[in-house]
Amino acid sequence: MITKSRLNRTQLIALLLPGLLLFAAFTVYPIIRLFWMSLCDMSFSSMLTQPFNGIENYKEVFQDQTFWTVFVNSIVYTLITVPGQMAIGLFTAILLNGIKRFSVTFRVINYLPVVTSWVIASLVFRYIFNTEGLLNYFLWKVVGITSSNIRWLDTRWGGISVAMILGIWKGIGWNMVIFLAALQQVPQDLYEASEIDGCGAWGKFVHVTLPGIKGTILFALIELTIGGFNVFTSIKMITGGKPAHQTDTLLTWMYYKAFSTGKFGYAAALSFVMAFSLGLLAIVQFRMMRNRDN
Amino acid sequence: MRTRTKLLAALLACLMILTVGSAFAEGETVTINFWHHYSAQSAENETLMNVLIPAFEAENPGIKVNAVSHEWAELHDKVLVSAKSNALPDVARCDIAWLPEFQKMGILVALDEEMPDFAEVSGKLLDSAMSTSVIGGHNYALALNTNSKIVFYNKTMLEEAGVQVPTTMDEWVEAVKKLSGENANGQQVWGWNEPALAGWNICPFIWSFGGSLTNEDQTVATGYINGPATVKAVETFAELVKEGGITGFNSGDIPMTDGFGTGRYAMMLEGPWKSAELAGAYPDVAYGTAPIPAGEGGSISVLGGEDIAMFNSANKEAAWKFMQFMTSEFAETEMDKCGQIPVNKAALESETVKAADYAPFIEAIQTAKARPTVAAWSEMDNDLTVAMTAVVTGEKTAQEAMDELAAKWDELLK
Repeated sequence: MITKSRLNRTQLIALLLPGLLLFAAFTVYPIIRLFWMSLCDMSFSSMLTQPFNGIENYKEVFQDQTFWTVFVNSIVYTLITVPGQMAIGLFTAILLNGIKRFSVTFRVINYLPVVTSWVIASLVFRYIFNTEGLLNYFLWKVVGITSSNIRWLDTRWGGISVAMILGIWKGIGWNMVIFLAALQQVPQDLYEASEIDGCGAWGKFVHVTLPGIKGTILFALIELTIGGFNVFTSIKMITGGKPAHQTDTLLTWMYYKAFSTGKFGYAAALSFVMAFSLGLLAIVQFRMMRNRDN
Repeated sequence: MRTRTKLLAALLACLMILTVGSAFAEGETVTINFWHHYSAQSAENETLMNVLIPAFEAENPGIKVNAVSHEWAELHDKVLVSAKSNALPDVARCDIAWLPEFQKMGILVALDEEMPDFAEVSGKLLDSAMSTSVIGGHNYALALNTNSKIVFYNKTMLEEAGVQVPTTMDEWVEAVKKLSGENANGQQVWGWNEPALAGWNICPFIWSFGGSLTNEDQTVATGYINGPATVKAVETFAELVKEGGITGFNSGDIPMTDGFGTGRYAMMLEGPWKSAELAGAYPDVAYGTAPIPAGEGGSISVLGGEDIAMFNSANKEAAWKFMQFMTSEFAETEMDKCGQIPVNKAALESETVKAADYAPFIEAIQTAKARPTVAAWSEMDNDLTVAMTAVVTGEKTAQEAMDELAAKWDELLK
């Protein structure tokens, strides 16, 4: 038995090695290299020499007013879109779980936004919310509750709100599918037992459904938080950071710093600040879930 | 068959590497690499490959040109990366905005120092265009082609409003005001479109109002970007924005060409490429062109275009010959047929140039100015946009915003 497991171990290593090597070359090494970049002065004037300059890049990030603006934007985007799409996705999943006919049809309809391209969806949202777009036309010319065009996209929170609506709309389908799968795992007899104990619909949801899909909620929460911090295409397409970077998020700002101003050191440091924030958030989320468990 | 071709290609590549190394010493064929961003399918590229390079190689036996086409943005990044790995070409066609960055990286050859006949060669090219290659008092490139912006106005809208084409900045302010408001369909219309608030957009106003961005040496901004004439230009512009006369830079605005084509924007400042765009998308719109209205500083637009530069690692003698050829009357006239506005003074005199679509731009180019040729320009440009945004939204006064901007720029220019 022992020899067999040893043999297995050798085989295991042999089988793992190609994958591990790829992982090391294309994930581990770039991360280490990026960390080194974040400690070097890398701009147009130092591209050839790249001298070590310690934590200067990090200092520059934290002293940069625009960093705080885009950081807050990313946090607000995440705080609103993540619970938003989870709540609506879960609600849709519960409704779908309850119906017997047309379930597949509704699932497909709800999943369609997920498979739509971000670029196209962003452009459509832009047309809807343009100052002369569909929404203003509808509000003014069709319903008549406004008497002028509202500039939805032109302010900081206006522009971000449109990106958030897009983010939620596009995320509902994914949440629905994940939660639908989880709901089907909740044992039916628990519902029956709670009914005998006198639980109504809400009671069943709080005491049976939610605890039953807790693992999935945590999974979705962490995945979506990472996704929220990574929002890029919609912002780039809808506002492009205008006015004056006030609607930029961490990624669009990072992209701008690296490729428009050549500050690769700054961008590298920013990416580590972002990764650190995300790691911290994940730990908090795990803790919260564990506490609720006790 | 394919493998054999590949093998042959690999062998040839090895041979080429060997020959490049030994060619100069033995006086054999020299190959110079030329990177450019004429798109691969364009008429420009065809002219380059089928007319210019054969002519150059016939004129200069012993020199071969290996031209490589890149995407515009890719070329910039490729140069950054290749600098690190010592794989730069000999010569490249560069956007004028890239030169200061490349110079700061220390990869460009100072032509005025290394080429004894530099003055003679550069004297044949437009002074305004050559100013784009001057960095810290030295010339790092030759001007290759140029462009600038002039006023496009909607003839019908101006006629209906009874407005003459503005020739001075005072007339411009009045015209923008008169042309703004509502049209017959009850839609809002604007006298002027400005698609962004960056240097490319704001500099023509600052300069025409008599202001400036920095001192001559491009080392100090205080007293220039926050000087009275600059502040006046910024104030006037922002005032018109607040009164609903100028728009276009907001995320939700109608795009420039659509707004102009559908009679929502009466005037705009644009480059020679706009004529083709309008002809394609809005062939029915009747428009005219005019120079930017003159203020205290004259009628001064902003320069765009490309330069041709030589890298440190180049075979300097051959590269210099090629650069002279590309800016010669012959090459510039050939490229002019594809719509590239020449900078060679003799080529500018030709009949084809005078008859070209872009003829109205040539006058603007003579007086137009280049944006600061400093490596920090992309950051300064961003600061300018941020400052302008604060002024047009009323967050700061023009003076406050420009004072803050001047302090920031002083730091960046150090």
